[in-house]
Amino acid sequence: MYFQVKDVQQYQQNKEFIDTAIVPLVYLDFAEDKMVKSSSDVEFLMSLTSFIEQQFKGRLMLIPPFSYTESTRSEQVVPILKKNIQEGGFKHVIFITCDHYWTNLQKEVDVIWLPAIPIESMDKDVKKRILEEQLKQVIPVLTSKWTQQ
Amino acid sequence: MVNKKVSRRQFLNYTLTGVGGFMAAGMLMPMLRFAIDPALQVKAEGDFILTSQKIADLTDVPVRVDFTYEQVDAWYKSEVSEMAWVYKEGDRIVALSPVCKHLGCTVNWEGDRPNEYFCACHGGRYEKNGKNIPGTPPTGPLDEYEVSEKDGYLMLGKKIPNTLV
Ligand code: FES
Repeated sequence: MYFQVKDVQQYQQNKEFIDTAIVPLVYLDFAEDKMVKSSSDVEFLMSLTSFIEQQFKGRLMLIPPFSYTESTRSEQVVPILKKNIQEGGFKHVIFITCDHYWTNLQKEVDVIWLPAIPIESMDKDVKKRILEEQLKQVIPVLTSKWTQQ
Repeated sequence: MVNKKVSRRQFLNYTLTGVGGFMAAGMLMPMLRFAIDPALQVKAEGDFILTSQKIADLTDVPVRVDFTYEQVDAWYKSEVSEMAWVYKEGDRIVALSPVCKHLGCTVNWEGDRPNEYFCACHGGRYEKNGKNIPGTPPTGPLDEYEVSEKDGYLMLGKKIPNTLV
């Protein structure tokens, strides 16, 4: 599901089935020499998360990315965000990012960190294969959450 | 002579109507084009999409066939990747949509048990022909794709309700 009206309405009628929220944490860098890399990371993360959404549409909701710059990045914010999303009825809140910074937070929140792969220059089939490989890194995290209780 | 003179009020009236008419046409035309020109409508609605799957390689075991097409949603164009589970049933080619009829996850062939599709989201199960197995969350069979062939390769068309179950 996406955070859009049609899906949210479906979510509200099926809360017992859609128990997981995925939140991309997106680092934006506007420095002349970093902006391209930053956008490449974002492109990768957005492609990967929509692929995850396609595979697990009925069980999770992909939340619009939480974006920040170096000076607005704050350790306090993410656990609060998690709490707010849980109050909306999601049992599991999983953050996904290419920014290493968040791995420090792993005790408090579930963070999947993935190294960004520059997929923007790849052809369709290679891109697809890469995303599939990356999805395989994510699935165990999801299934371990889902089999917990 | 006096009668032929266009008064200021008339002049304004003419011009404003002209502008209004022109604006209405501007708004209507794109809508009309959408209404009548099927080529401008979302792809995959009628036409078949060529895949890289050779017909000759198909067997009675479902294989995954990926395909992409362009979708236009208002001003936003995007490439959509979909896939189908495809197998041969005698001479007939069957292509099933992997979209779970419960809440839309992607189902996998033999993801859990042999000879079944499995949905990892809430344990939905389907037989090979897409028939949902009672007692699991899905309430209907997997959709089918219309199939066609071009130079030995598989083409997939519209999604239609399952005709096998
Ligand atoms: S979405 Fe497949 S069983 Fe629920």
